[in-house]
Amino acid sequence: MKRQAIAEALRDAIAEEMERDETVFCIGEDIAVPGGWGGAFTVTLGLEKKFPDRMINTPIAELGFFGIAVGAAMMGMRPIADVQYGDFLFLASDQIINNAAKMRYMSGGSCQVPLVMRAPVGATGRGSQHAQNLERYFTGVPGLKVVAVSNAYDAKGILKSAVRDNDPVLIFEHKLLYGSKGARTESGAIDATSEIPDHDYLVPLGRAAVRRTGSKVTILSWLLMLHFSLDAAQRLAGEGLDVEVIDLRSLAPIDFEAIGESIRKTGRVIVVEEGPKTGGVSAEIAAGIHERFSDYLKAPVTRVASPDIPVPFSPILENAYRPSVAQIVQAVRSLLS
Amino acid sequence: MNLIMPDLSTTGSPIKVIRWLVEVGEFVERGQAVLEVETDKAAMEVEALGPGTLLRQLVPVGTEASAGDLLAIIEERVSLARPILGHAEQNEESAIYSRDFLLGLYERMWLIRQFEDRVKALFLEGIMPGTIHQCQGQEAAAVGVCAALGSNDFITSTFRGHGHALAKGLTVQEMLDELFGAVTGCCKGKGGSMHMGNLAKGMIPGIAIVAGGIPVATGMALAFKLRKTKQLVACFFGDGAVAEGAFHEALNMAALWSLPVLFVCENNLYGASTRIDQVMRNTRVSDRAVSYGFRGQTVDGNDVLAVYEAATRAAEECRAGAGPVLLELETYRQTGHSRRDPCHYQPKEERAFWSGNDPITRFAQALLIGGNAGLDDLDRIQRKVDDEVERAVEQAKTAPLPAPADLLSDVYAS
Repeated sequence: MKRQAIAEALRDAIAEEMERDETVFCIGEDIAVPGGWGGAFTVTLGLEKKFPDRMINTPIAELGFFGIAVGAAMMGMRPIADVQYGDFLFLASDQIINNAAKMRYMSGGSCQVPLVMRAPVGATGRGSQHAQNLERYFTGVPGLKVVAVSNAYDAKGILKSAVRDNDPVLIFEHKLLYGSKGARTESGAIDATSEIPDHDYLVPLGRAAVRRTGSKVTILSWLLMLHFSLDAAQRLAGEGLDVEVIDLRSLAPIDFEAIGESIRKTGRVIVVEEGPKTGGVSAEIAAGIHERFSDYLKAPVTRVASPDIPVPFSPILENAYRPSVAQIVQAVRSLLS
Repeated sequence: MNLIMPDLSTTGSPIKVIRWLVEVGEFVERGQAVLEVETDKAAMEVEALGPGTLLRQLVPVGTEASAGDLLAIIEERVSLARPILGHAEQNEESAIYSRDFLLGLYERMWLIRQFEDRVKALFLEGIMPGTIHQCQGQEAAAVGVCAALGSNDFITSTFRGHGHALAKGLTVQEMLDELFGAVTGCCKGKGGSMHMGNLAKGMIPGIAIVAGGIPVATGMALAFKLRKTKQLVACFFGDGAVAEGAFHEALNMAALWSLPVLFVCENNLYGASTRIDQVMRNTRVSDRAVSYGFRGQTVDGNDVLAVYEAATRAAEECRAGAGPVLLELETYRQTGHSRRDPCHYQPKEERAFWSGNDPITRFAQALLIGGNAGLDDLDRIQRKVDDEVERAVEQAKTAPLPAPADLLSDVYAS
């Protein structure tokens, strides 16, 4: 057992998978530069020494190299393609949505795209084009699996499952949760470290995890907001309100079974999401809950999300954009009053 | 320049062929002695009036011919290919191809034309669903390139992929079934016209987004290189794709990593309804290769043997690890961009010119003149193909459609 941050756990996961399976390779920008950063958030730091042929450093060409990753996957490789900032996924989205996600279906089942994609999201003071949460644009794309990793243990186990999965999987990571060190430290970073076992383990795709049990209210969340929700639950526990907090982990498909189990207990649900409220993943979650569990709901699903604006730069504004622990606490109180 | 018996006999007596000095398949220079003949007075040589390849010796040794008789077929092969990067285009000795191979090319081109024309008729009749993007006029490009590929090689194609699919080896039946949305189609009815493909036959489904398949083909080549197979991929796209960022990004990386991908641009002068000179200042697509550091070549895309030879040479280079090649095949779409497009944006003189430059007609003429086939051979091939297509159409009209449960399958692995 050792305690690791998400960046280190991901690095080990990638290295172990490449060791285990020679068809696994990494492709991305600035990922294999000797003396470099190991990608924008240090995840691939040093891997080029161990796997000189399978750390492919690319020009700035997201559309191009994501498409290349699709083609390689179709011919039996298992690429891990990453964008430096989730915002750059838009450039690659034709290859992801029109090719990777659809290939199995439009070939009548004969082609597959076992591709893993990684993207950091979240507002971190870099202005509106380097700060979005993009889960919403890729959930609900038939053929594409979407996950979001909120701690090191999940990050490692989920990445390994994704590599071994035969469908395209898009993994969202949060810039403030990496635990990157040194020059790449993020201000405002949160501790998302975990105890990591020495043995090989997997975390299955498609499954949520209860992070804190409770009986009054269910909070569903992921990434940074999951940590804020746990903080909120901590505060509320001091007031005698026990709140159940679930880390969704999988955004496509959504683990409605786990959600239902919790709702049968609490009858009240809040979905907390970083990113504008309109059209968020929480909208799909809310609709899905109402369709399945309306008999158990004591109140409509509540959403806590960002306002419908581009991410502002000025720290005072950005902090207002990002849902806060206080807002989550307030939402719980309102629900229960 | 065919060889005619000159007027050698002063007495008008017949002239006997003594000896052929050049073998069939050999290249002759202008002025080179091709055969030795004998009159009643003396023995003398008949010389070639121009360079070319001796294709047929028409008069056997020991027989007689008169002045003016056709003695031999010599084909002067003028290559219209002008490669870039200083690769001098030698006046290559034209290869000799077997009759079977040549007739095979002809049959495949005829198959594509017949398939496309038949599909167009079915569509206009209203019994074929969806939309179609056809390739009449571009058959030599598809057939010439695919003939240069091995059975383990792959191709990627576009929304205009029927010709590529047939050239690569998909059956008429699996394609017609797919066009009718039948479950027996090559993609179980889930792909349709723009996504023809059959992985087992080396063709992934067509990528219908312009240039979208170029990075994918490059990635396939990356896999071949990483796994050390000797496969290559031919990536078909049109002149319209050249403007997309994906073209630039993929070609750059293919060159950087010396990937075994043959980029084939079918330049038919139009991206949908927009002529090429309206979308780029330098309309010579092959010029772009040198900017990425590899070889580009413009070829007469309506000369199936020129395409075949350029593709064969390029394939050898790719397989040897030299990196990508960009072939620009100059051709023309004799049909609309899609569906019922009447092509009003194409000038009449231009259409007429290219109509006279039809790849199938040109090849038929070359076969007839070269003595590789007679009219009856070509008729036989045409009738065989027409029958095959007709039978497949009838079967496709009643092919089974997908079941409701098929809707949800093949989204994920499980």
